[in-house]
Amino acid sequence: MLPQRSRLSVLVFLIPPLALYGIAVLLPIFQSLYLSFFDWDGISPMLFVGIDNYVHMFTGDAVFWIAFRNTLGYVVICLILQLGGALIVASLLTLLRRGREVVKTLYILPAVISTVAIAFLFQRIYSLDPEGLINQVLEFVGLGHLQQAWLSDVSTVLAAVSVPEGWRFTGLYMLIIYAALLAVPTELEEAAKLDGASWWQTFWRIRFPYIRPVWITTTIIATTNALRGFDIPYLLTNGGPGQSSELLTTYMYKTAFTSTNYGYASTISVFVVVECLAAVGLIFLLLRRKADA
Amino acid sequence: MRTNRARLAIAAGVAAVGLLLSGCSAGASGNSDPTNVDPKGEIVPREISWLLSRPADGGVITAMEQIADEYAAKHPGFSLNLITTPDRPSYIQKYETLAAANKLPELFDTDATPFAQKLAKQGKMMDAEALLKDLGVYDDYRPAALNYQRFDDGSLYMVPFEFQLEFFWYNKALFQQAGVEIPKTLDDIPAMCTKLRAAGITPIALDGQDQWPLERYMAYYPFRTAGPDYVEQLKKGDAKFSDPTGEQAVKWLSDLGSAGCFQDGFSSTGYSDAQASFTSGKAAVYNIGTWELNSLATDALDPSVRDDIDYFTLPVAKDSVTAANEYVSPSGIGMAVNTKTYDPLVRDFLSFALKRYPEVYAATGALSPTTTVQTTVPANATPLYQRAVDQANDVGEQTAMPWDTQLDPTSNTRLQQELTLLLQGEVAPDEFITTMDGVIADNGPKAFK
Amino acid sequence: MTLTASRTTSPTAPERRQKPPRKPLNLQGKITGIIVTLIVIVQVYPLAWLFITSLRTEKDFAGGNPFALPTTVTFDNYARAFATGNLGLNILNSFIVTVGSIVVIVFLGMMGAYALQVLGFRFSKLVRALFLIGIIVPVQVALVPLFVDYAAVNLLDTYQSIIIPLAGFALPTSIYLFSSFYEYIPGEIYEAASLDGAGPYRIFAQITLPLSVNTMVTVAMVNSIFIWNDFIFANTFVLTDDLKTIPLGLQNYIGAMGKIDWTATFAAVCVSITPLLLVFLVLNKAMTYSLASGATKG
Repeated sequence: MLPQRSRLSVLVFLIPPLALYGIAVLLPIFQSLYLSFFDWDGISPMLFVGIDNYVHMFTGDAVFWIAFRNTLGYVVICLILQLGGALIVASLLTLLRRGREVVKTLYILPAVISTVAIAFLFQRIYSLDPEGLINQVLEFVGLGHLQQAWLSDVSTVLAAVSVPEGWRFTGLYMLIIYAALLAVPTELEEAAKLDGASWWQTFWRIRFPYIRPVWITTTIIATTNALRGFDIPYLLTNGGPGQSSELLTTYMYKTAFTSTNYGYASTISVFVVVECLAAVGLIFLLLRRKADA
Repeated sequence: MRTNRARLAIAAGVAAVGLLLSGCSAGASGNSDPTNVDPKGEIVPREISWLLSRPADGGVITAMEQIADEYAAKHPGFSLNLITTPDRPSYIQKYETLAAANKLPELFDTDATPFAQKLAKQGKMMDAEALLKDLGVYDDYRPAALNYQRFDDGSLYMVPFEFQLEFFWYNKALFQQAGVEIPKTLDDIPAMCTKLRAAGITPIALDGQDQWPLERYMAYYPFRTAGPDYVEQLKKGDAKFSDPTGEQAVKWLSDLGSAGCFQDGFSSTGYSDAQASFTSGKAAVYNIGTWELNSLATDALDPSVRDDIDYFTLPVAKDSVTAANEYVSPSGIGMAVNTKTYDPLVRDFLSFALKRYPEVYAATGALSPTTTVQTTVPANATPLYQRAVDQANDVGEQTAMPWDTQLDPTSNTRLQQELTLLLQGEVAPDEFITTMDGVIADNGPKAFK
Repeated sequence: MTLTASRTTSPTAPERRQKPPRKPLNLQGKITGIIVTLIVIVQVYPLAWLFITSLRTEKDFAGGNPFALPTTVTFDNYARAFATGNLGLNILNSFIVTVGSIVVIVFLGMMGAYALQVLGFRFSKLVRALFLIGIIVPVQVALVPLFVDYAAVNLLDTYQSIIIPLAGFALPTSIYLFSSFYEYIPGEIYEAASLDGAGPYRIFAQITLPLSVNTMVTVAMVNSIFIWNDFIFANTFVLTDDLKTIPLGLQNYIGAMGKIDWTATFAAVCVSITPLLLVFLVLNKAMTYSLASGATKG
């Protein structure tokens, strides 16, 4: 701490960021809470309805629960692709002798493309008629009977909308994990190898515990990012077919801006806030406890 | 930081915004009356804007641009700013949010939706019937074109700029190959599909991604068996899907699904792909309006199918209450005139534009919403073009309203979702009926209060 | 929380590229190489396909095999892309929004971190926790309230309307990044400056700010990717064509009734990716480093 700080100087530095943050983030959260007790279409007078919206959400709205379930599925698939993919590629990369820089650059490339472009792209990749990339590859490797319209089938669509999100950011997480892996002291691993530990054992006993703190951080970032998932499902399927790829975020968005039901949309928002805080708390507790154990 | 005070401040902020909002929404700051179509005052040229949802290079926009230039030549300082969002869902979202923000421009497009009806009730849109009558053009319009724009109570707040007929385009060669005939009734369609499927042909090409094309099929059966009233009552919760009319319609849709009428994966097929499937000779039937005449009845069409293409209109049903010449004949999204910004200039421009429009528009090869002009058939047209244009004179009085302009948005979204599931066989007809009746009961009556 | 987690391993650790070769397992090395190559192909192929498609004729795309090599190469799609949309304007708008947000994020982030980390005050822990909310809560939560607020104060359809939430939600990460960096600035520097009579403002301007350049670059780069591609705020708050950013401009290629001119759209996509891609490739090293360190510390 600076010895000669004045209360005023603290305020001078703190107020501008806090003000922006307050306007953009905190106030909207409170406003959502406020609006969630109203029935309001944007053009008629607001109608106070007490907790009706909450009652409806928890007891009367099947779509809400489907969206909630889908959101969980979406998060799990994104996490597996992003963190699993990142860990595998990062590990492989440490074994590589040449071209690491090139691989890193190419691997992260999808992150620079806008989601609108990605949605256009994957619409073609998943397509059945005309035959898209996946279906062509299936045919080529002799699995033609597996061909299908990936975005039309209720059992594949959720995975299909999660994959682009996973694909897009796996490079980012790979970079983080790769950096962490590099920091693992080679001496430890060498020692373990001399003791006759297999590659797998070295990985789980030495490397992974070493990068655990980074792993926790990465998991939290990836989870919060996945919980924010919106663009790709919204643009690719708009939640369909039926509600098979509807997420809480897309459902909230449609409730607000298609149905112009701003009050109920705010109720869903409030739930999303609580859900995210709970999710992060849970991850933190779980991974921390394991680390302590 | 003093947290208590901060919390107080935030609470106060929330309350203040709340007040502001209720203040905003309580009354428009508009100064005129929706029926005062001829306000006194001087014509002061300025820029006026039209928020619209039409193809950027389409006939309406090119015609209106030309007309605006002509008007501006006589009234220096005038200009017409056309802001188009062709993608309809994005447009609706934009226009509804602008309405909520009380920031609608002088002219804006809307269908006769419940939302628009609320705006009309609040006096935010000029009375189009009064306006057209006052300008002396009311009788020029095709009654069907005006009726399409009316709210259920018969009031008219939107001006039509198009007139379209929706046909079932079909490929004669593929029909012959599969040995099928043009369906005489709606109930013939599932059998037709089965036969086409058996011959390895995609029966009907459907753009399932955009939802509205499938929703048309929802409208067809009730329109034949019960007429246009059914959806008017259904949307308010006064009629139900569980009524015989609804039940039959749902059963028919489910039959379409089990007969495999639409291509596999139709729900993720886009507009262009569906059309390509038909124009490349893969699919036998394609249900689309005359706005596609340029693709389907000119030499833009692939030579290999050009001579095989023909159309039929919506088949009737057993005991049809509507006639064969009554089907979906929309006059497109309509143009509403904002009350708040209505002044002598807007009136004068509209007077000039609406009188000039039919001639300019018909010259682009499109069907005018008025009966006063002849459509210019383009030089590269196939004979089908002229036939389609002539068909417009034979349209009956009742029109099958697309349901997406009828239902409240929540029910509509849900209906679109459930329809896909029904056609894919994911939900059974009775499940569909229960779900939809529940959703409409929750949302419909509220929306049409 | 995230901060403490990341501190243990610093991603800045120098890469040991010349590792002593682990046992000369040639076969293993080759297999690794092949697997990595395959993975990279999966990762990059869609992009290559995007580019190739933008050079196809419409017929070739619709009729032929869209995944084979094009029979003829055409630049018509690019001409149509520029004719249909307003790509130049979209890119300019994206640029304005990105630069505007980044400036706000960097400077307010520095100020906040300075107040929290260097100056310090009694409730700084509480304020930190408050900022944490912005990292956790999804941005969509702010859409309806902000829309309502903007409508009330006439901010809809302005650059500010997009910049405020973009900057607001990125601010916490920025503050955490700066404060974790400030933590490593030795206290003696400040003490010496204080003895020279420098107050908090001068110290900020003359010591903290110049030292922060690296972190500024990191913050700017991490955020630029996200902001350049932001869809949801622009989609909600921008109403007229004049302010449309790239993602919205691309949406314009969806025509009436959902009709899409695919090849022109892909050409537009290629054009829209180019600026960021160029920056990315030119600043490759700095970028990958920034992303790794930025994300970990966030």
